Amino acid sequence: MGHDHRRPLQREGVLFFGDVIAGLSHELSNVFNIINEIAGLQEDIVGGAHPKGADAADRLSELAGRIKAQVERGETFNQFLHSLAHSVDDDDIAFDLGDTLDLAGSLAARPARLARVELVVHRPESPVTLVGDPFALLLTIFGLIGVVLDAADSERRVEVSAAPHGNGARLFVTSADPLPPGVVDEVAALETGRLTWGVVHTLDPQPPEAPRRIILDVPAVAPALKATTDEEGQEDPDGN
Amino acid sequence: MDDLRLLFVDDEEELVSAVVERLELRGIDGVGATSGDEALDHLREGSFDVVVLDIKMPGIGGLEVLRTINRRHPEVKVILMTGHGSAKDSEIGRRLGAVAYLEKPVDLEDLLMTVDQAVNPEGGGPDGA
Repeated sequence: MGHDHRRPLQREGVLFFGDVIAGLSHELSNVFNIINEIAGLQEDIVGGAHPKGADAADRLSELAGRIKAQVERGETFNQFLHSLAHSVDDDDIAFDLGDTLDLAGSLAARPARLARVELVVHRPESPVTLVGDPFALLLTIFGLIGVVLDAADSERRVEVSAAPHGNGARLFVTSADPLPPGVVDEVAALETGRLTWGVVHTLDPQPPEAPRRIILDVPAVAPALKATTDEEGQEDPDGN
Repeated sequence: MDDLRLLFVDDEEELVSAVVERLELRGIDGVGATSGDEALDHLREGSFDVVVLDIKMPGIGGLEVLRTINRRHPEVKVILMTGHGSAKDSEIGRRLGAVAYLEKPVDLEDLLMTVDQAVNPEGGGPDGA
């Protein structure tokens, strides 16, 4: 009853959650640390220290603005956590691919920054509605971005985009650098997308030419969903 | 700690600027860097008594910077800091010669005490070396 599909998803999902939450926790800590230091600087000024350049009142006001900016930044990270938490609410819903793409890009922003790669995510020009498990697709897209980020070399720029394709969507993860041969195996190891969505990966251009982008074809309705909701209970070990 | 020259290294620019200003208000010659590369540039261009170094940074991480400091500027005392401490980071840092390891958020007065212990080990407390 769907266990074959869900076991890898559960494992990959837990690893993904741990990875992303650890990263967002670091980002939130950074925000708190900055607020802590700016508040300390305000205390110094109130306590009689003479700041350079501006008078104390102007300086305190400027520092308050910097604190507000950090609070806003922290709230953004909190929204990412909230969206991530709710991405597992339902595994059988209609959703917009653009929202999933945005969330994947937001969650990948920290790994991209640490890898010193410029990550640019483009939403599809018009809504692309898919039916299935948004979390499984989020996991797949995040995994693909991770593989391409790891392969970044001298150019260090990765773009993610998507467009309607047939009844579903076609997603592109493009690196400004050529992707090394090992990418094929790393992409193949991302089981969730294949098992739950029946996604098909293609490298472009095809080896032996060095590929620069991964193309992901996503059906409009997740076939794994069809299989697991089949009242006849017919098992399909390949998830297709 | 008059005449002390301190390099504070963290990839969060806002944190660096606030800490450096607070150091200056206390009479310390503080210089900030937001990457390992920038830190090494500062070390090439001038002398420092202490470097306070974040471990996790984009590009050259803190431990790599520490290794380079050990090779090129062995006289400089290095204090490591990280957002979420782990025994492993702390152990590696100490093995590489860091004089202390601090977990963020770092209270400035605690930092100054640790710096004082680093530059004056004979008068320092138990965590200074």
